[in-house]
Amino acid sequence: MYGRRLIQTEKVDAVFGNPERAKGGTHWVIVGSAAILLVWLYYSWDIAKGFYPKSANELCQVAKINESLLGLKYQFPIEEREFKSTSIIKIENKNLQKITNEIQNSNDLNNQQKTTLVGYINKTKQLIPLLTNEDLIEMDTKIKISEMTNEIKQLSSNFKKDDYPFETEVQKNERLKGITEQGDWGIMTVRSGTGTIENTIEVPFIAETSKGLKFQAAAEELKIINDKFFKLRNHNPQFKNLIKQLKDEIKAYRKSLDDTEEIASDYAKNIVKIARRIEFASIYPPKALDDMQSAIIEFDNLQQKEQAGLRLIDILLFPAGTIVASGPSCSEQGSGRWLPKPSDTLNKFILMSKPSVGYKNIPLLWIEMIDVSSIIGFILPDWIADILPGEYPVHTSEGIVKENFKGKVLKLVTGDFKLFKIPVPYGHIWDSFLRVFLGLVFGIIIGVPLGLFMGLNRFAKGFFDPLIELYRPVPPLAWAPLIISVLGIDNTGKVFLLFMVSLSIMIISARAGASGTQLSKIHAAHSLGASKRQILRHVIFPNSLPEILTGIRVAVGMCWGTLVAAEFLAGTTGIGFVENVAKKYFQYEVIWITIFIMGMLGLLFDITLRKIIDKTIPWRGKG
Amino acid sequence: MKKLISFILGSLFALNLSISVANAAANEVRVAYFLEWPSPNLEDMQKKNFAKALGVPVKWTNFTNGGAMTDAMLAGDIDISYSQGLVPFINAVKSNAPIKLVDIAMEYGMGGTTCVTSNASGITKANGSELEGKKVAVPLGTMAEYVFDESMKVVGADRSKMDIIQMDPEEGAAALVSGDVVMACLFGGNSIKAAVAVGSRLLTVQEARDAGILGIDITSVTDKFMKENPGMLRTFIEVTHEANDRYRAGKSDMNSMSKASEMKVADMKETLSGFKFLTPEETKQSMESGNLDGFLKGMGTPGGAVDTSFLPL
Repeated sequence: MYGRRLIQTEKVDAVFGNPERAKGGTHWVIVGSAAILLVWLYYSWDIAKGFYPKSANELCQVAKINESLLGLKYQFPIEEREFKSTSIIKIENKNLQKITNEIQNSNDLNNQQKTTLVGYINKTKQLIPLLTNEDLIEMDTKIKISEMTNEIKQLSSNFKKDDYPFETEVQKNERLKGITEQGDWGIMTVRSGTGTIENTIEVPFIAETSKGLKFQAAAEELKIINDKFFKLRNHNPQFKNLIKQLKDEIKAYRKSLDDTEEIASDYAKNIVKIARRIEFASIYPPKALDDMQSAIIEFDNLQQKEQAGLRLIDILLFPAGTIVASGPSCSEQGSGRWLPKPSDTLNKFILMSKPSVGYKNIPLLWIEMIDVSSIIGFILPDWIADILPGEYPVHTSEGIVKENFKGKVLKLVTGDFKLFKIPVPYGHIWDSFLRVFLGLVFGIIIGVPLGLFMGLNRFAKGFFDPLIELYRPVPPLAWAPLIISVLGIDNTGKVFLLFMVSLSIMIISARAGASGTQLSKIHAAHSLGASKRQILRHVIFPNSLPEILTGIRVAVGMCWGTLVAAEFLAGTTGIGFVENVAKKYFQYEVIWITIFIMGMLGLLFDITLRKIIDKTIPWRGKG
Repeated sequence: MKKLISFILGSLFALNLSISVANAAANEVRVAYFLEWPSPNLEDMQKKNFAKALGVPVKWTNFTNGGAMTDAMLAGDIDISYSQGLVPFINAVKSNAPIKLVDIAMEYGMGGTTCVTSNASGITKANGSELEGKKVAVPLGTMAEYVFDESMKVVGADRSKMDIIQMDPEEGAAALVSGDVVMACLFGGNSIKAAVAVGSRLLTVQEARDAGILGIDITSVTDKFMKENPGMLRTFIEVTHEANDRYRAGKSDMNSMSKASEMKVADMKETLSGFKFLTPEETKQSMESGNLDGFLKGMGTPGGAVDTSFLPL
């Protein structure tokens, strides 16, 4: 709104095409960021959580009903086009037809076998009308179906009542106890910075509201009916006799065949398989389940009506997915799953930022007190002690070790002594930062002089050009599979990979800068008596600096891009490592945190570089 | 401005629609499996017997790890995952993924998944606690991590004192060869072959078996598919068990299996020799009170993720 007001009051006095028109406009930055945040809030369902904190719990109960209804619904043309019975009969008839054709066209079967097998197929075909005949359906089955229908109807009439499911005091207390234990929607349970990095139950399972309770109770009842219906089969005595007879006959037939008649045996086996599928499927006469169907539809409509406002919330505030119930838990499926809520992400970020928590026992960014001695030990090579004359001390027969000079030097060069301590940063962010930084520095140290040299010298250009041009277009990650084998899993390999990235960019930009220097300037310097060195130092280098610094900016971006992949390879630290491990455990919050950290660090690098560019080369674009 | 608002609303609507459409089931069954991980039912896959038995087309897609199978199932692209590792399944269930375990694909001794220590380090089962403070390569979130955990219990080493490096098997083997790590936990024939060249198994296959370290691969299915097509699921499992019977009887067509798993027949036979394909009865026993049940409980899996009702008993 603020931006919109500004746009109206803003006077655009520059003509179109003038770069002045693109200057300023901080307000649009705010609007842009707000838009991103809004989209995030919306698709992570945080808006739903903010306005209707109970909606996830209620939708979980609705999902339970859907879960229970699914098995029942799929028997009927409610969401499908045809009855499950119809589609099964269609499929099996087709399969039987196919197998008949195969048998009759087979060259490996003799006529007698063909007749026997086709006879079995016909018998299998006769099974179906036994199941779909209305007169044959057993009284017992009929009663069971009508019982279930009545149960659904009863449930529908109860469901309308306000005080359903008639909860007793004891049940209520138990439920309330469960509610206090299960926590709220989302990870934010107590206060920010608590909990664990590991995934926890996201959506509270036990119904918290009276509306939710209704759905929960109905779902439980429906589940029982569903299970009963799932077990029910329309097997009348005629069917049972026929299928038993068929199975026995085929069994006897297969036994009578010897090894040479394996193909016939296989066909017989396939026929019996189809028969068994027909036996297992729920096939009913076309009209037998009409009452039940209308009862289910009635209940379905009723429960949708009962949802009332909740339905609207589901559609509007739970975009691209919804809450799904699965066994003993409810979960977010859809965009809410892979896009964690800003509040949860922030909470986990605060938690991870704590040095005591970190990720895999290593903090994101923290300082460690390190004795200076170990740094000295690292810098001084150990062989200094080895090349000194004399021997290292040997213990005496009394078991005492007496120090000598050589031993003391060894202690010095290995850092085995105590000095004062200084703070040194460490952690995932620091390690990643250091890798990028080192890769970049090495790239600049080698790339810039080489690039300048190539821009100025025919030999260098000719000699290095094929090498550089061959390796430059290769994506740095193409080297990755070799890195572990050649350079190992430590920092060397990762820094080397980043060095490869920055090197080619630095060479190209330095070379372009050097060869782009205006000849008139060089001539001017030359005629004023400048030496080669002076021309390089005072004319060519300052002129190519803008190109070089732009090259560094590009290289930083590329290095960040490669870093993640480099850290995917192997490692125990680094932002890429964190993301890679989080992926394996489906920790979406952590994944997003790493993405943000990388974005932020990249931005930080870029802003710093921009400042440096503005400070060091004010002549940029004005030469 | 009106145009802008209607454009935004329109694209939001289109986005919502496209995401929900992606989940709508097609009229085919989509199954995930592994290459180089042979099983008898791959013969049926090769000969299209599944499509015959299910009555609808069956589309097989190969994956490189179990976690990716879960991702694809949640995105609505896969209905059934065959021979998914138990550890990726447990990780998925722990993050509330709506998938169920309906069958055991195979149990295997740890011939195919093992930890190898380098000969240079001199570490064996006897001085296993020396691993503490050293670097070890483990592919986290896979069956190999489970083997690593269990092996450390056997040799009495403390996992938290080690420098555990997340590495896929091929890289772990390379790191063991170059001496960067003293131990690598791996799976897959080629990686183990490369690692054993410079090291030896921390626990032999027999020792691992004695310690009760056992790998289990399972068949998992999305809740939606299970509820909507119980008959198809049952048939799928039935055909699989028939293939297992055929394999036990020595009647499997090794050539078509090797073609389907993209392995040489000899290599495949060696891998298969480490697998145990259970009968439906054994499967039920394992799921209810046996190895699988113990595994799930040991890993702290939330209940209700196992369904035995589709087994062809």
